[in-house]
Amino acid sequence: MVESHIIEQENFAHLALQEGWQLVICNSGIDAIHWFNKNNKADLLVIEEDSAPLNGYQTADYLKTELGLMLPILITVGTVPNPQELRVIAYAEGVIKKPFIKSTTILQINEILERYPERDSVQNDSYSLNYLRDIFDGHEESVFESLELFSTSVNTELEQLNVELQDRDYNRIREIAHSIKPSFEMLENETGRCICHLLNSEAEETEMPGLIHDLQLEFASITKQLTRDFPELKIGR
Amino acid sequence: MKKILVIEDNPMVIKSLQFKLTKDGHEVLIAKDGREAMKFLKEANFDLILTDLMLPFVTGKELISYIKKNSPKTPIIVLSTSTQENIIMDAFNMGVDDFITKPFSPNELSLRVKRFLNKA
Repeated sequence: MVESHIIEQENFAHLALQEGWQLVICNSGIDAIHWFNKNNKADLLVIEEDSAPLNGYQTADYLKTELGLMLPILITVGTVPNPQELRVIAYAEGVIKKPFIKSTTILQINEILERYPERDSVQNDSYSLNYLRDIFDGHEESVFESLELFSTSVNTELEQLNVELQDRDYNRIREIAHSIKPSFEMLENETGRCICHLLNSEAEETEMPGLIHDLQLEFASITKQLTRDFPELKIGR
Repeated sequence: MKKILVIEDNPMVIKSLQFKLTKDGHEVLIAKDGREAMKFLKEANFDLILTDLMLPFVTGKELISYIKKNSPKTPIIVLSTSTQENIIMDAFNMGVDDFITKPFSPNELSLRVKRFLNKA
């Protein structure tokens, strides 16, 4: 938690004790970033909106974009929250109003913890959700539907690549690579993007079997990570 | 409400375009291949067309040629990837109005679409 108001900090600490939450208090967003750099394991970050020098949303942005952490983040706000751009709001999973009211705060946090079951918050190199969150204005359901679409649609096209490879239809292979390249780009997966680019443009016919094999391995790695991070989604099923 | 035809075969790109354009207040029709697009184009008029160039059944070039012949005032924005410079140049020579690189920036898409719809 990052909370500069000492009474609110104590209120929250009291709730945490009562609910059995293990609480770590950081002095600022930067302090929290340092903590995550050393520990990178927490189920939730609760951070005040006007933390300084990085505010709550900027801290959330940094943790998710730069450190690739997957944990949910709640922003604590006063009676009148500061207006924020939609894309900035998308970095947080919700807001809690201050002063903390015991029943609603506990309910809100438990709901978030249920929605985001314990995940491996270690840096994830296979994919990023930043682009999807941006394009869907933080609408999580659409982000998750897109992940399922990625899994089913790319899987189908990869199976088709094998068929075309057997038929030696190299033009069709280039077309399929062109078609699925944006799917890897939308998950910000550089390996998949590069392989699709090569298959679509520069690769010799003799290089294609190896590249297709590598693309399938990369896809398997992404879907494995997605299954681990989002067991509730229909990934690879 | 302006009517936009999106011709694109990648389901993730379709979903994102549909979300963004609908949210911006437009009516969006999706054609997943060139054949389906031709069917829509014969049945209705559109205020704007967003199209990929590498499509199953009927190519983007054939589609652009059809649109320019039958509905020359309808603006066309090409959805391209960064590796298609030559194809994009050919499309411009055929009279397309603009292009957007996939995956697109949400704000850029909104602005470019708005620009052409205001002209229409």
